[in-house]
Amino acid sequence: MKKFLSLLLIVMLAIGMLAVAGCGGNEEETAITKLVVGSETAYAPFEMVDENTGDYIGFDMDIIKAIGDAMGVEVEIRSMEFTALIPALQNGQIDCAISAMSITEERAQSVDFSDSYFDAGLIIAVAADTKGIETLDDLKGKVLAAQIGTIGADACVAVQTEDPATEVKTYDHVGEAFMELEKGGADAVVNDLAVTAYYIKTEASDKAKMVGEVFQADDHYGMPVQKGDAATLALLNEGLAKIKADGTYDEIYTKWFE
Amino acid sequence: MNFGFTNTEWIFGTMILDKLNEIHGFQVVVNNLPNFGMGALLTLEITVFSIVIGMVLGLLAALGRMSKVKVINSIAVAYIDFFRGTPLFVQILLLYFGIIPLIFDATPVQAAIIACGLNSGAYVAEIVRAGIQAVDRGQMEAARSLGMTQGQAMINIIFPQAFKIVIPPLINEFIMLLKDTSLVSAISVPELTHTGKMLYASTYEAVWVWGAVCVFYFIMTKALSILGDWTERRLATE
Amino acid sequence: MIVVKNLHKSFGKLEVLKGIDCHIDQKEVVCVIGPSGSGKSTFLRCINRLEEAQQGQVFLDGEEVTAPNADINRIRQEMGMVFQLFNLFPHKTTLENVTLGPIKIKGMRKEEADDIAIKLLRKVGLGDKDHVFPGQLSGGQKQRVAIARALAMQPKVMLFDEPTSSLDPEMVGEVLEVMKGLAYEGMTMIVVTHEMGFAREVGHRVFFMDEGILMEEGTPSQIFDNPRNPRTQSFLSKVL
Repeated sequence: MKKFLSLLLIVMLAIGMLAVAGCGGNEEETAITKLVVGSETAYAPFEMVDENTGDYIGFDMDIIKAIGDAMGVEVEIRSMEFTALIPALQNGQIDCAISAMSITEERAQSVDFSDSYFDAGLIIAVAADTKGIETLDDLKGKVLAAQIGTIGADACVAVQTEDPATEVKTYDHVGEAFMELEKGGADAVVNDLAVTAYYIKTEASDKAKMVGEVFQADDHYGMPVQKGDAATLALLNEGLAKIKADGTYDEIYTKWFE
Repeated sequence: MNFGFTNTEWIFGTMILDKLNEIHGFQVVVNNLPNFGMGALLTLEITVFSIVIGMVLGLLAALGRMSKVKVINSIAVAYIDFFRGTPLFVQILLLYFGIIPLIFDATPVQAAIIACGLNSGAYVAEIVRAGIQAVDRGQMEAARSLGMTQGQAMINIIFPQAFKIVIPPLINEFIMLLKDTSLVSAISVPELTHTGKMLYASTYEAVWVWGAVCVFYFIMTKALSILGDWTERRLATE
Repeated sequence: MIVVKNLHKSFGKLEVLKGIDCHIDQKEVVCVIGPSGSGKSTFLRCINRLEEAQQGQVFLDGEEVTAPNADINRIRQEMGMVFQLFNLFPHKTTLENVTLGPIKIKGMRKEEADDIAIKLLRKVGLGDKDHVFPGQLSGGQKQRVAIARALAMQPKVMLFDEPTSSLDPEMVGEVLEVMKGLAYEGMTMIVVTHEMGFAREVGHRVFFMDEGILMEEGTPSQIFDNPRNPRTQSFLSKVL
């Protein structure tokens, strides 16, 4: 037992050192010529895979490409799990991310965010024949579905904290949460308005509907970069300002949301 | 109260603990030990129930696979081929979102047990079949020459000998199954890996969170293999 | 007692038995000799249908063993078989090897079966080995247990498939002694063997088989001293 405990301590210490090493050093960059951008490409209409060409498309994809064009840098998209984006930034595996990510205080402790590029909010979606669910209060004691690591999931957990009878089912991708709703395994999905609207319009106009008001409307999407990476941050903000000024942003917005 | 450590060891140990406590990831892991424990318990529960289903199905499928009745044989072969020939991850999604809802309303945990049990059954079937075929042909002949029916010979002569042969590969299969239950996190089963995902999504402590998840899995698989070694030794001395 | 009519057996394209006709009387000891691959063992195994013949018939006391609807499990109880490789059940003690048949097949009470088994084990000279597992026995001892196991079913006839071929030379004698004892008690026996001494001394009749054909049969003195068939002559000149 003694031996085992000492061994356990040593192993934990070793893991700790690795963790510290992993967080290490920002390399100084001179001129940025290429951006490696992480995105969870299963969140239509912000990011998705074109069924025919296999390319990454969506609102976010158009925005980051436009920023790249405006700033004269190459953009490479790397598809990954949503929960992997911030760790990948911390490890320097990607330069920035664009993935319909809300700017939150909690996240801002781990990464720096660009200026907001999209105003979002959360909405409740229920099966088409559901009655009696309109507000967050109505969700108490119900079965809720959401995507792991999203503010929608946070909202569900907040409901559960108020009423422990509430069940929260969380999935790697929002599509699985919608599937759960469709097959009757959940009473409601809490997720970003734009995505839920797009999903219901394209996939489930007869099976699901949005109810109630948009909430957490002070929710804004930003592009995270590694903490302290001022160069990339400046590039993103400058690019964003440029495409907003020259009308490119509006074109893209119209293309996806109107 | 030094729990049997010498003073030097005790002081050194507490020093290390103090240092660790300054690390955020360590705190995350320590504060969430109950959550990891709950997740590990569910992992264990799914594994145990899947093993039971897998053993029953595996035995039936193995016998079906060796049956001379064409229909039974074909069903067994189709079952084994399908579940061995496609990824468990896909089977879990197909069963939970596609097939099980057509039959009854399953909770994610029930669906996980069904999927893992069905999958394991196919592997157990092949292990059992190999075990039965590894018993010397002369054993069946000797039993039949005494006047035993095929069934009597199987139960009295072949199975007891095949049992010893299949124990090591079966334990191996159970260890694989325990690890594979991590895939059911995809259908929102809050087992060990899902616990890790949730914690990781809110803390971004990849090394600490996944390191802790590994330690929990390792403890469980190690316990299984120790159990396996013990069983093997007991059978060997009989 | 046993009648064999026009027995044919092939493994794929290889014809192993090409029409065997013979009869064996009660209390008769028949030794089957011949070169390797002559079909001796297959002939024996066709009698209790461990191998299924493609053509021909086998009768035991007038009942057709080879009939499709024959109750083969009951008929086999009346034909004990001893194998070249013993085929003892390794997970059972010698006593259990012997009692398993009577208990599981005949539904005999354990005490009764134990009684019979102990007597049989004594008879084959292994009365003190009842709680030993087969792995701890020598080859000769294993084969004697196998004989006791077959006898426990109280068969009408005993089939021996080269019972001494895989034994070390010094153990052949003890097994042959047991078989000799059985023969003198009047057991009907068919013995496939390479032990010419045993065939000459114990056999009432000797069958010489070659290439799937029963080439010659007769009393031991006819076969060993005055073989008529040239193949028999050539075989015996090699082995004697």
